[in-house]
Amino acid sequence: MVRLITHNLLSCHAKGCTTNNFPLQFKDAEIEHRDAEFNPEFIRGLLPKIEWKALVDTAKGLGDTSLPDEQPEMMDDELLKTLHHVLLEVHIEEGQMICPNCNHVYPISNGIPNMLLAEHEIA
Amino acid sequence: MAPKVETTVVDQDAQKYEQLHVHEVYEQIASHFSSTRYKPWPVIANFLASLPTGWVGLDSGTGNGKYLPLPTDRPGSLLTIGMDRSRNLLHAARTAGDQDVIREVVRGDVLDNPWRRGVFDYCISIATIHHLATHERRKQAIQRTLQAVSPSHGRVLIYVWAIDQDELSKRQIPTDNETHAGQDVFVPWVLSNQKKSEEDSERSQSQVYNRYYHMFAKGELAALVREAATELGMLVEQEPTRGGEKLSVKGVEVVQDGWERSNYYVELRLWQIDQV
Repeated sequence: MVRLITHNLLSCHAKGCTTNNFPLQFKDAEIEHRDAEFNPEFIRGLLPKIEWKALVDTAKGLGDTSLPDEQPEMMDDELLKTLHHVLLEVHIEEGQMICPNCNHVYPISNGIPNMLLAEHEIA
Repeated sequence: MAPKVETTVVDQDAQKYEQLHVHEVYEQIASHFSSTRYKPWPVIANFLASLPTGWVGLDSGTGNGKYLPLPTDRPGSLLTIGMDRSRNLLHAARTAGDQDVIREVVRGDVLDNPWRRGVFDYCISIATIHHLATHERRKQAIQRTLQAVSPSHGRVLIYVWAIDQDELSKRQIPTDNETHAGQDVFVPWVLSNQKKSEEDSERSQSQVYNRYYHMFAKGELAALVREAATELGMLVEQEPTRGGEKLSVKGVEVVQDGWERSNYYVELRLWQIDQV
């Protein structure tokens, strides 16, 4: 599965690609929404791992503008619910993730992203 | 009689060897293998149960994803992302534990690092590193787990098969007792042929697939961890008491180092002191 939580952790690892290699850009993304159980404590614990700007920009690219551009200092329940939806309920089933630096293409098929590199691309 | 474990020698390029004797075998046996791997080992279940809500981890070599749904008493309190090379095993891992819950899985290699450096809170690598065909590659896989987790609080748990099998195990590992070194072996997997096509209807013979394993010797895993961490510039010791540091120091503490049911395991905790 690629949900936006996972996407926010991935970065390009092709040989020599070490800067500007995050976040990967979605292309031709086919999206499915699936309900997940809301756990506010889990979302709060998750936040320190999230790159906010990358999340907001990626969500916007997929047509979801529900998150504020700047990360608010106070997280109320409503915002946690919005985050829960964006991070955990949006599944990218098919499409591609493309490195903004080297343009390497990581395909997504049946909800599974393929991060394997060809032999000559391995760092 | 069931085929026996036999010693082997890695006599070609390690990557090609693994492709042939590990990856291709798992693609073939994935569905049968998956149906036999459902019970989590206690040390691993306890490790995951000890982690705080909101932590995100990597299961490097997730196989059929049997650890992704844990902990059972707090479902949804952790997010463990499963990574594996086998497409067929990932397919099983996607719905591990509950057909209605989709698990997060990624196709990738345990020697790569397709993640933001140090972004995970924890990393587990269970029954995976023993499939790598050289000392160097096994060390590298351990280094990837150390690099995947937070340098200041990351937790790591690694399991590998041991030469020392308990009496319940059906496996007997042939060894050279003189050297006390690990042993490269083929472990057979017997798959009964269930194809009922026209041609096959007369034949119901089973097929044997040999998987490559490096069976670890006593002390080998802990030594490998020490070598891997030292190369990354980490001290292998407990975090010292702080106070007026003049240097920045990175380290990894060996929390547990043991043997359970035919496996060796190590649990690690990373720590970091920043210069004041």
